[in-house]
Amino acid sequence: MGTLAFSPRIAAETVGAMDVNFSQDKDLASDFLQNFVDANGEAKYMSILQDVANRKIKAIQIDIEDLFDYKDLDEEFVGRVTENTRRYVEIFADAIDELIPEPTEALQDDDHDILMTQRAEEGNENADGTDPRQRMPPEIKRFYEVYIRASAKGQPFTIREVRASNIGQLVKISGIVTRCSDVKPLMKVAVYTCEECGFEIYQEVTARVFMPLFECPSKRCNVNRAKGNLILQLRASKFLKFQEAKLQELSEHVPKGHIPRTMTVHFRGELTRKVSPGDVVELSGIFLPIPYTGFRAMRAGLVADTYLETMSISHFKKKYEDYELKGDEEEQIARLSEDGDIYNKLSRSLAPEIFGHEDIKKALLLLLVGAPHRKLKDGMKIRGDLHICLMGDPGVAKSQLLKHIVNVAPRGVYTTGKGSSGVGLTAAVQKDPVTNEMILEGGALVLADTGICAIDEFDKMDESDRTAIHEVMEQQTVSIAKAGITTSLNARTAVLAAANPAWGRYDLRRTPAENINLPPALLSRFDLLWLILDKADMDNDLEMARHVVYVHQNRESPALGFAPLEASVLRAYISAARKLSPAVPRELEEYIATAYSSIRQEEAKSNSPHSYTTVRTLLSILRISAALARLRFSESVGQSDVDEALRLMQMSKFSLYSDDRQRSGLDAISDIYSILRDEAARSNKMDVSYGQALNRISRMGYTEAQLKECLEEYAALNVWQIHPNTFDIRFIDA
Amino acid sequence: MVGRPYDCLANPLGAVRFTFEKAVSSGSDPASFNRSDWGVADLFREFLFENDGLSQVPILTPSTVKWVQPNSLVRFRGMIQDMLGNEFYVGAYKSKDTWNTNKFTDVSQFPMGSSPDMCVWERRLIYCVPVPGQNLWADATSDGVANTFATSASREKRQRDACSVYDEVEMQDSNNEIQDSPSAKKMREGESLPSEDMNVGTDCGMVMVPEFDRNNFPCLVKIYDSPESDLKLNDVFEFIGVLTFDTDVKDDKNGEIQLENCFDQEELVNQPPSKVPRLHCLVHRKLSPSDLIVRAPTMEPKPHLIKEIRQSLLRHLSVVLGDDDLAANFLLLHLLSKVHLRVDSIAVGKLSLNLTGFDKSSISVFGNRINDAVKNLLPFSQCIPFTVDFLNTASLAPVKDYQTDRLVPGVLQCAEGSHFTIDETELQSGTLNSNGVENTRLLKDLMEFQKVEYDFKYYKMKMDADVQILILSEGKSNILPADIVIPFHPSSASPSGITDEQTLNAWRWYLAIARSLPHSIGADMQKVVEDDMVAARQVDRSLGTEDFNRWLTMGRLMGVSFGETCLSHEHWQMVKEMERLRKERLK
Repeated sequence: MGTLAFSPRIAAETVGAMDVNFSQDKDLASDFLQNFVDANGEAKYMSILQDVANRKIKAIQIDIEDLFDYKDLDEEFVGRVTENTRRYVEIFADAIDELIPEPTEALQDDDHDILMTQRAEEGNENADGTDPRQRMPPEIKRFYEVYIRASAKGQPFTIREVRASNIGQLVKISGIVTRCSDVKPLMKVAVYTCEECGFEIYQEVTARVFMPLFECPSKRCNVNRAKGNLILQLRASKFLKFQEAKLQELSEHVPKGHIPRTMTVHFRGELTRKVSPGDVVELSGIFLPIPYTGFRAMRAGLVADTYLETMSISHFKKKYEDYELKGDEEEQIARLSEDGDIYNKLSRSLAPEIFGHEDIKKALLLLLVGAPHRKLKDGMKIRGDLHICLMGDPGVAKSQLLKHIVNVAPRGVYTTGKGSSGVGLTAAVQKDPVTNEMILEGGALVLADTGICAIDEFDKMDESDRTAIHEVMEQQTVSIAKAGITTSLNARTAVLAAANPAWGRYDLRRTPAENINLPPALLSRFDLLWLILDKADMDNDLEMARHVVYVHQNRESPALGFAPLEASVLRAYISAARKLSPAVPRELEEYIATAYSSIRQEEAKSNSPHSYTTVRTLLSILRISAALARLRFSESVGQSDVDEALRLMQMSKFSLYSDDRQRSGLDAISDIYSILRDEAARSNKMDVSYGQALNRISRMGYTEAQLKECLEEYAALNVWQIHPNTFDIRFIDA
Repeated sequence: MVGRPYDCLANPLGAVRFTFEKAVSSGSDPASFNRSDWGVADLFREFLFENDGLSQVPILTPSTVKWVQPNSLVRFRGMIQDMLGNEFYVGAYKSKDTWNTNKFTDVSQFPMGSSPDMCVWERRLIYCVPVPGQNLWADATSDGVANTFATSASREKRQRDACSVYDEVEMQDSNNEIQDSPSAKKMREGESLPSEDMNVGTDCGMVMVPEFDRNNFPCLVKIYDSPESDLKLNDVFEFIGVLTFDTDVKDDKNGEIQLENCFDQEELVNQPPSKVPRLHCLVHRKLSPSDLIVRAPTMEPKPHLIKEIRQSLLRHLSVVLGDDDLAANFLLLHLLSKVHLRVDSIAVGKLSLNLTGFDKSSISVFGNRINDAVKNLLPFSQCIPFTVDFLNTASLAPVKDYQTDRLVPGVLQCAEGSHFTIDETELQSGTLNSNGVENTRLLKDLMEFQKVEYDFKYYKMKMDADVQILILSEGKSNILPADIVIPFHPSSASPSGITDEQTLNAWRWYLAIARSLPHSIGADMQKVVEDDMVAARQVDRSLGTEDFNRWLTMGRLMGVSFGETCLSHEHWQMVKEMERLRKERLK
């Protein structure tokens, strides 16, 4: 026979562990189970065993990490457990058999217990103890399952990294479940009774197929030459739940130019029904070969199939709240947060390949961070998600920005206004083709709950979706009243929309409102609205030409001048920032109120208001400020946050109305001067820092060049002094 | 070489065993051989490439597979269509105190007990198919290579007819093949021949491989040792290795006890060799386009020679295109294009061409002439009939079938450097279903980013592609926006002259060589180019990065078409002139 008889023994051998004394290791295991105390000083495993004895739980999970931490064990023992895990599951089970305490609660006897008591009574009379098949295998008595779980630390393997050398070992892998079989019973111990002598015969099943016994092997039948007929007792046999699944590599783990690999995974007992197709999971388990049997073994020749005997399952959670920091990320975040320039650094790392658009990227960063949700005492909710709309000429990288943001966000859905599915953006009631029942199916906005929904071609949205989106953007729910189903689905999502101007390209001869082509009720729900225009500009053109030539010449993108942060770091930082919920301190209330009322007044003054400043605007200011405070890891909103929020809002407005900016009769230089003077007077100080000044004047629509000019001019007049390095301003009071 | 104790050609396994024994006797521990080689690859490399053994190795084809002996050395040329993952096998084992190896074979030479001294090694399984759209002249396996052109007229015609139905055929084939497995297979194997007939010869072979033809001749290649990054999906390779046949196929007819196994993947991976030959790869090499030219002229790429060939090829293209010189110039650049770099999402170097202005009568004349010309010049080319019906029914993107655990090929799964001719003139108005919409999106993505989205159901993966796309249409194709749109103005329809094989080979060689030339832009030219671009954009605001990219790509292609590796002033001017003339035509 060319049969290939793999067994865990071979695996043990490859690590040269033939001389291991298993009974000694059993003592070690038993010692560990009795004496291990966790961080809280509790005997973790003994309390689990008590629960098991009380039939509260069935699974006993032994953490490899605990083995590591347990001081009395040598490293070698842990090594042996990970190298030859299946054997050690047995050893631990044996140890537990001896340790299992008496139940402390009264238990209802079930069939199994009654059988066991009967067996125990009978066992005394007729077991002759010579035939191993008549001895009751420990397996049949166990009403618990033992799992050894791999350490949570360390990166899981990808499927292609699991090699022949891993056979028999405990490995941890990640992947996506593609197929799942039904849960079926798997015979663990077959029990027969003999027609002649009445003995119970036990047969342990270790493989997937087994040869049933037909002749009674007991001594009595042997002596009598009775050849007793054996009858399989299904009620008395022990079965396990068994499920098989296929795990496939995640797309990000597949090297370029390769096909994702798959692996067969077996779930037993308590681990069945834990996964369904499409789940992204991390499994720890034992990598084992399946021995071929019979004809198949002959045909397959020398090859063996392998599978993973699952020991633990953890689902990947794609939510910020559940984001676990890995390894050095914590340290990295701490380092980043101390860096004063984190706001710029993070925003630049968003879509680094898209040139320019600094303020837009800042706004998008704030969208990712968001503000905390508030729930008032009377049950009213105030959303914390920021909504941003990008509008602009075709081909200004709007869609790329959207896609990039969705990639960075742990939960993001990218869709277009004319989404192809019937469900559309919100939700739909559909008839299930199989059962003919009405079912509720969530659309993109519902799927993006607690995440980001990027909607491209926002202007081309269906009318029905457009009405529903009003509700989504303010109440953050989707209500449905169709076909007898009346319900409200959560859609706590930040909307990032991109739209084209009404006539495809922005028409400068028309008013912005005409160009935008969206109803004001919808527009007012966006915290920030940005217009990206493709303007004729010699410098820009040269920059573009240089970029293209550089790409062709040097076969790579031009250096960015800074090292963008990795998406994973970005994600980690944002998730850390989102844990905070900054409050607005009392002393800032006045400041914000003044700022708000001045915007309102300005609007009232102008005869053709461009925007609708409402209470929503005030909430937007608060939201943006809170997001900025989160980025600083601060528990309270500072004045600088509010200033930056106001600046961003103003900038977004100027991107829309920069062409018909009205000057109050003054020329730019003197206007800047008066702004700075006011700023100094307001804070009762003689100093205005350069950054502050720049912030102020850019909110009024002036450029840095104009500020510099102003600084120089007035410094020459000895109105103020300019710090030679920092350009900070100090007024010389006459 | 004299006195080899083994015959590499007829008994490669003997050579493997010989080197294994030598390695073991020299004191190496077989357990340490895991994932390493003990000198087999070197031995065969020497035999094949230094002692000219390569030409003696038979190429595995539908016709040769009938007489090639199992366990002998063969070679197979094909594209990697699917990767089936790893296979674990007993690599070395000890029986009666001597070590034996099972490397490069499916069945053990000696019966193995369950001896404790076993090493489990792994090998990778790769599913290869003949390159889709391979033209006859590039097919080293076709018998009539020598006089392709003489007989091409009739053959070409047949091929052309086949071409339109090709896609459906291929789909059906692959479907059949997959549906064949477990159930149908059992049926067939139920009536299959006793295994001992297997080695008898042709008769058996005929029955054994009834459905093989040139386009459907897959081969399961088992790769040892070489790093994973060596072999990529859709690469064209030549594998040289041991051909194996199992002799135990008859087992199946007993109606093997179906285990309570939920998935039948194993069935597929271990498809009986009566359906798919298996090759245990000893040596593999990637084939470049110039490797495909049979009897390639061994010329030095000298500038004046290149220029001569360029001139004659341009004249030929011009004749093919009815004396439209401008279109011929663009067509030449198009044929030379290849994606040589990817920056962010942009594929730099692609140059798709859209010839407009065809109508029913001109397409019948020139459409076929262009197709024939492309077929004769490029190794892999396909025509896609762009009709509503085709779009609605064809599956363009490869899809993973989880029932069979196989990647079902789509039309767009093709080798690097393939050429697609899309005939849009046949497009009528009609309604696209969701499949059709998806297919147009795929084609558009391919044109724009040179990427094809493979559908793995739970997620999609974008795979890089490098395909030259030529579109023939009535007006500018809006569904498939090409890099260059040029109205086609033929002035005569004189029959294109007969070209002899030697000239054709020279042209093929020229295209293959010129495509692979490196190219750079000097610092002074950079300035000129930048200034030209800025000036152009000041005049015409609608110019964007795509236009600049196209100009530079054309500049590069123009340079390499003259065999030069640096952009010169003259060539840049030519590009600008071509663009100017094209703009004029578009008006």
